[in-house]
Amino acid sequence: MLRFVTTFLLILLALFTLELLAPVQEHVIVPFTAVLASLSAVLILPFDSSVVAYGKILQFKDSGFAVSIEAGCNGVEATIVLIAAICAFPGSWRARLIAIFLGFLAIQVMNIVRIISLFYLGDWNMEYFSWIHLYLWPALIMLDVLVVFIVYLRYLSVQAKPLETTVG
Amino acid sequence: MRQFLLFVFVLLIPCFGLWTVANAPIGLPAIGIAGSLLSNWFPDVVNALSPSGPEAILMTEFGEKAGQLIPLSQADYRLGFQINTRVLSYSLPFYTALHFATQRKTYLADYLWGLLILYVLFICGLVCLCLKTLMVNVSAPFFNQAGVFVPNAEVIAVSYQFSVLIVPTLAPAILWLSQSKDSPLLQGLFVRTVDR
Repeated sequence: MLRFVTTFLLILLALFTLELLAPVQEHVIVPFTAVLASLSAVLILPFDSSVVAYGKILQFKDSGFAVSIEAGCNGVEATIVLIAAICAFPGSWRARLIAIFLGFLAIQVMNIVRIISLFYLGDWNMEYFSWIHLYLWPALIMLDVLVVFIVYLRYLSVQAKPLETTVG
Repeated sequence: MRQFLLFVFVLLIPCFGLWTVANAPIGLPAIGIAGSLLSNWFPDVVNALSPSGPEAILMTEFGEKAGQLIPLSQADYRLGFQINTRVLSYSLPFYTALHFATQRKTYLADYLWGLLILYVLFICGLVCLCLKTLMVNVSAPFFNQAGVFVPNAEVIAVSYQFSVLIVPTLAPAILWLSQSKDSPLLQGLFVRTVDR
């Protein structure tokens, strides 16, 4: 456990520092955040004609309320945590890559739900918006990471069992 | 797993509710310790870190006139900055929900240890948050203090980002994993994978 936690923290710190570098922000994080904003808009627009989207901004035409999807709202940090946890664990690289890919999808689906829910919540009540944005949603996103990681551990465990039977 | 998730969702609401109500007293010791640390570390820049409702105010040794920092002796009032302590302390209700949603043999001892560790991280995070506030708002007089070690801007930026974006959610998750590895939910998973 100690070896896992140490490796995990080292990978986490390295990836997190990498994410903060200006070229990475410019060429990866900012474009990715813009794609996320566009995707949120694509999901909302067919159902709600009172919404307009430009760049990374979603806005209600009638109330004028708008949200700008910024770095830090893009689920990248949660993905980094998941990648660090999966890489710190013993397992085949194939299993790791599949887990990272599926985990990334799970986090981003949750994150888009988060962006859309916050957009509507903010139009209704700013106090609730701030509270849920700053405190509740980050906890829920980390819970998502935790669940993906436990599912991955269970998968590894199930994979290891037949091997143990064959060897034993 | 389903039972665990159900319990987490059920517990998250009252845990976050209680934390919202009791946030001011919960933050008091952390504000006191961080304030004492900062005012001793930077006596010429930081006057105090004082509680203000659910938040804190970082009082400086400067005044302000037309957007410019001026010496306190020439100012009508002392310049202070609002610090949102809740962006750090929400780790406590999150951990509480995770801990009590998990079936385990003993609850209280592990929980108290967990709270203690999270509280220490909360204090560290508060110091990082104040350093970032001083870096952005005070800038040159903060970095150019004679005879005082001031971390460089990159270190402050990374430690701030790490303390605010990662630690409040990650620390409870790591604590929960390490304390729950023998619980029915995780039993055997770590033994088979990590320690084999």
